[in-house]
Amino acid sequence: MYDYALVTIGCVLLVIGAICDMLGALGMNRFPNFFVRLHAATVGVIGGAFYPLIGTALIAFGSEFLGIYRWFMGGCALVSAFLILILAPAGSHALARATHKSKAAIVQPKVVDHLEEDGGVR
Amino acid sequence: MGIETLVTTVISFTIPIFIVAFILYLIRILKGPTISDRVLAIDALAFDLVVFLVVLGIYFKSPVLPITGVVLALWAYALDIFVAKYLERREMGE
Repeated sequence: MYDYALVTIGCVLLVIGAICDMLGALGMNRFPNFFVRLHAATVGVIGGAFYPLIGTALIAFGSEFLGIYRWFMGGCALVSAFLILILAPAGSHALARATHKSKAAIVQPKVVDHLEEDGGVR
Repeated sequence: MGIETLVTTVISFTIPIFIVAFILYLIRILKGPTISDRVLAIDALAFDLVVFLVVLGIYFKSPVLPITGVVLALWAYALDIFVAKYLERREMGE
Protein backbone atom coordinates (compact mmCIF):
# COMPACT_ATOMS: atom_id res chain seq x y z
CA MET A 1 0.00 0.00 0.00
CA TYR A 2 2.84 2.38 0.83
CA ASP A 3 4.50 1.33 -2.42
CA TYR A 4 1.58 2.62 -4.48
CA ALA A 5 1.60 5.97 -2.63
CA LEU A 6 5.37 6.42 -3.09
CA VAL A 7 5.28 5.46 -6.78
CA THR A 8 2.27 7.71 -7.53
CA ILE A 9 3.84 10.78 -5.88
CA GLY A 10 7.12 10.05 -7.67
CA CYS A 11 5.42 9.73 -11.07
CA VAL A 12 3.60 13.06 -10.59
CA LEU A 13 6.88 14.79 -9.65
CA LEU A 14 8.64 13.21 -12.65
CA VAL A 15 5.99 14.43 -15.12
CA ILE A 16 6.03 17.95 -13.60
CA GLY A 17 9.81 17.96 -13.91
CA ALA A 18 9.73 16.91 -17.56
CA ILE A 19 7.27 19.72 -18.39
CA CYS A 20 9.41 22.28 -16.51
CA ASP A 21 12.48 21.03 -18.37
CA MET A 22 10.74 21.51 -21.72
CA LEU A 23 9.65 25.06 -20.76
CA GLY A 24 13.18 25.92 -19.64
CA ALA A 25 14.67 24.68 -22.92
CA LEU A 26 12.12 26.68 -24.92
CA GLY A 27 12.90 29.82 -22.92
CA MET A 28 16.63 29.29 -23.40
CA ASN A 29 16.02 29.51 -27.16
CA ARG A 30 13.45 32.31 -27.22
CA PHE A 31 14.75 34.88 -24.73
CA PRO A 32 16.74 37.84 -26.12
CA ASN A 33 19.94 38.15 -24.07
CA PHE A 34 22.06 36.48 -21.42
CA PHE A 35 20.60 38.09 -18.31
CA VAL A 36 17.07 37.13 -19.33
CA ARG A 37 18.17 33.59 -20.15
CA LEU A 38 19.23 33.19 -16.49
CA HIS A 39 15.53 32.94 -15.58
CA ALA A 40 15.00 30.13 -18.09
CA ALA A 41 18.08 28.38 -16.69
CA THR A 42 16.56 28.55 -13.19
CA VAL A 43 13.32 26.96 -14.41
CA GLY A 44 15.28 24.32 -16.31
CA VAL A 45 17.58 23.43 -13.41
CA ILE A 46 15.49 23.68 -10.23
CA GLY A 47 12.17 22.69 -11.82
CA GLY A 48 13.64 20.34 -14.40
CA ALA A 49 16.36 18.60 -12.41
CA PHE A 50 15.60 18.89 -8.68
CA TYR A 51 11.92 17.83 -8.73
CA PRO A 52 12.37 14.77 -10.99
CA LEU A 53 15.36 13.62 -8.92
CA ILE A 54 13.19 13.61 -5.78
CA GLY A 55 10.49 11.86 -7.82
CA THR A 56 12.84 9.17 -9.12
CA ALA A 57 14.14 8.61 -5.60
CA LEU A 58 10.55 7.97 -4.41
CA ILE A 59 9.91 5.69 -7.43
CA ALA A 60 13.09 3.71 -6.69
CA PHE A 61 12.15 3.37 -2.99
CA GLY A 62 8.69 2.11 -3.86
CA SER A 63 9.34 -0.37 -6.69
CA GLU A 64 9.97 -3.92 -5.54
CA PHE A 65 10.98 -5.19 -8.99
CA LEU A 66 14.37 -3.43 -8.88
CA GLY A 67 15.72 -5.82 -6.25
CA ILE A 68 17.73 -4.93 -3.17
CA TYR A 69 19.75 -2.30 -5.04
CA ARG A 70 16.77 0.07 -5.17
CA TRP A 71 17.87 1.68 -1.89
CA PHE A 72 21.25 2.36 -3.51
CA MET A 73 19.66 4.01 -6.57
CA GLY A 74 17.31 6.12 -4.46
CA GLY A 75 20.18 7.25 -2.24
CA CYS A 76 22.22 8.26 -5.29
CA ALA A 77 19.26 10.27 -6.59
CA LEU A 78 18.83 12.04 -3.22
CA VAL A 79 22.54 12.94 -3.03
CA SER A 80 22.44 14.30 -6.60
CA ALA A 81 19.32 16.35 -5.77
CA PHE A 82 21.01 17.87 -2.69
CA LEU A 83 24.14 18.74 -4.68
CA ILE A 84 22.11 20.35 -7.48
CA LEU A 85 20.01 22.35 -5.00
CA ILE A 86 23.18 23.81 -3.44
CA LEU A 87 25.55 24.12 -6.42
CA ALA A 88 23.36 25.34 -9.30
CA PRO A 89 22.34 28.75 -7.81
CA ALA A 90 25.91 29.40 -6.62
CA GLY A 91 27.36 28.62 -10.06
CA SER A 92 24.90 30.71 -12.05
CA HIS A 93 25.26 33.62 -9.60
CA ALA A 94 29.05 33.61 -10.00
CA LEU A 95 28.70 33.42 -13.79
CA ALA A 96 26.25 36.34 -13.89
CA ARG A 97 28.46 38.48 -11.65
CA ALA A 98 31.55 37.81 -13.76
CA THR A 99 29.67 38.48 -17.00
CA HIS A 100 28.33 41.81 -15.73
CA LYS A 101 31.74 42.88 -14.44
CA SER A 102 33.71 41.99 -17.58
CA LYS A 103 30.96 43.23 -19.96
CA ALA A 104 31.14 39.98 -21.94
CA ALA A 105 27.45 39.96 -22.87
CA ILE A 106 25.78 42.91 -24.60
CA VAL A 107 22.42 43.85 -23.04
CA GLN A 108 20.56 44.73 -26.23
CA PRO A 109 16.87 45.35 -25.31
CA LYS A 110 17.75 47.19 -22.10
CA VAL A 111 15.02 48.79 -19.99
CA VAL A 112 16.98 49.71 -16.86
CA ASP A 113 20.27 48.62 -15.28
CA HIS A 114 20.61 49.91 -11.73
CA LEU A 115 23.86 48.04 -11.09
CA GLU A 116 25.59 49.83 -13.97
CA GLU A 117 24.31 53.24 -12.77
CA ASP A 118 25.76 52.59 -9.33
CA GLY A 119 29.22 51.95 -10.74
CA GLY A 120 29.13 48.23 -11.47
CA VAL A 121 30.30 45.25 -9.43
CA ARG A 122 33.20 46.03 -7.15
CA MET B 1 -2.26 -2.21 -12.76
CA GLY B 2 0.99 -3.40 -11.26
CA ILE B 3 3.73 -1.11 -10.08
CA GLU B 4 6.16 -2.21 -12.80
CA THR B 5 3.81 -1.42 -15.70
CA LEU B 6 2.90 1.96 -14.14
CA VAL B 7 6.53 2.97 -13.73
CA THR B 8 7.51 1.73 -17.19
CA THR B 9 4.60 3.57 -18.86
CA VAL B 10 5.30 6.89 -17.14
CA ILE B 11 9.04 6.70 -17.85
CA SER B 12 8.50 5.84 -21.52
CA PHE B 13 6.26 8.95 -21.80
CA THR B 14 8.84 11.26 -20.19
CA ILE B 15 11.96 10.08 -22.06
CA PRO B 16 10.99 11.76 -25.43
CA ILE B 17 10.29 15.08 -23.63
CA PHE B 18 13.76 14.97 -22.10
CA ILE B 19 15.36 14.19 -25.47
CA VAL B 20 13.60 17.15 -27.16
CA ALA B 21 14.78 19.42 -24.32
CA PHE B 22 18.36 18.15 -24.81
CA ILE B 23 18.20 19.02 -28.52
CA LEU B 24 16.94 22.55 -27.73
CA TYR B 25 19.75 23.11 -25.21
CA LEU B 26 22.23 21.79 -27.81
CA ILE B 27 21.02 24.38 -30.35
CA ARG B 28 21.73 27.15 -27.81
CA ILE B 29 25.17 25.68 -27.07
CA LEU B 30 26.10 25.62 -30.76
CA LYS B 31 24.88 29.11 -31.71
CA GLY B 32 25.22 31.04 -28.44
CA PRO B 33 26.60 34.52 -29.19
CA THR B 34 28.82 34.86 -26.12
CA ILE B 35 30.80 32.40 -24.01
CA SER B 36 28.47 32.95 -21.03
CA ASP B 37 25.43 31.71 -22.97
CA ARG B 38 27.22 28.52 -23.92
CA VAL B 39 28.40 27.87 -20.36
CA LEU B 40 24.88 28.48 -19.00
CA ALA B 41 23.36 26.06 -21.52
CA ILE B 42 26.06 23.43 -20.82
CA ASP B 43 25.26 23.83 -17.11
CA ALA B 44 21.54 23.19 -17.61
CA LEU B 45 22.25 20.31 -20.01
CA ALA B 46 24.58 18.60 -17.52
CA PHE B 47 22.07 18.91 -14.66
CA ASP B 48 19.38 17.42 -16.89
CA LEU B 49 21.66 14.55 -17.93
CA VAL B 50 21.88 13.62 -14.22
CA VAL B 51 18.09 13.16 -14.16
CA PHE B 52 18.19 11.26 -17.43
CA LEU B 53 20.82 8.84 -16.07
CA VAL B 54 18.72 8.06 -12.99
CA VAL B 55 15.60 7.57 -15.14
CA LEU B 56 17.49 5.23 -17.48
CA GLY B 57 18.83 3.35 -14.48
CA ILE B 58 15.27 2.67 -13.30
CA TYR B 59 14.09 1.79 -16.83
CA PHE B 60 16.90 -0.71 -17.51
CA LYS B 61 17.02 -1.98 -13.88
CA SER B 62 20.74 -1.16 -13.68
CA PRO B 63 22.08 0.21 -10.37
CA VAL B 64 25.40 1.40 -11.85
CA LEU B 65 24.04 4.29 -13.95
CA PRO B 66 22.97 6.75 -11.15
CA ILE B 67 26.50 6.89 -9.66
CA THR B 68 27.88 8.79 -12.65
CA GLY B 69 25.34 11.56 -12.11
CA VAL B 70 26.99 12.76 -8.89
CA VAL B 71 30.31 13.30 -10.67
CA LEU B 72 28.53 15.07 -13.55
CA ALA B 73 26.84 17.56 -11.18
CA LEU B 74 30.17 18.40 -9.52
CA TRP B 75 31.83 18.81 -12.93
CA ALA B 76 29.22 21.33 -14.11
CA TYR B 77 29.77 23.43 -10.96
CA ALA B 78 33.55 23.35 -11.50
CA LEU B 79 33.09 24.56 -15.11
CA ASP B 80 30.95 27.48 -13.88
CA ILE B 81 33.49 28.57 -11.31
CA PHE B 82 36.46 28.28 -13.70
CA VAL B 83 34.78 30.34 -16.42
CA ALA B 84 33.63 32.98 -13.92
CA LYS B 85 37.14 33.25 -12.50
CA TYR B 86 38.61 33.64 -15.98
CA LEU B 87 36.10 36.32 -17.00
CA GLU B 88 36.72 38.36 -13.85
CA ARG B 89 40.49 38.25 -13.53
CA ARG B 90 41.67 37.07 -16.98
CA GLU B 91 43.80 34.36 -15.42
CA MET B 92 43.49 30.71 -14.51
CA GLY B 93 44.46 28.90 -11.36
CA GLU B 94 45.37 29.97 -7.84
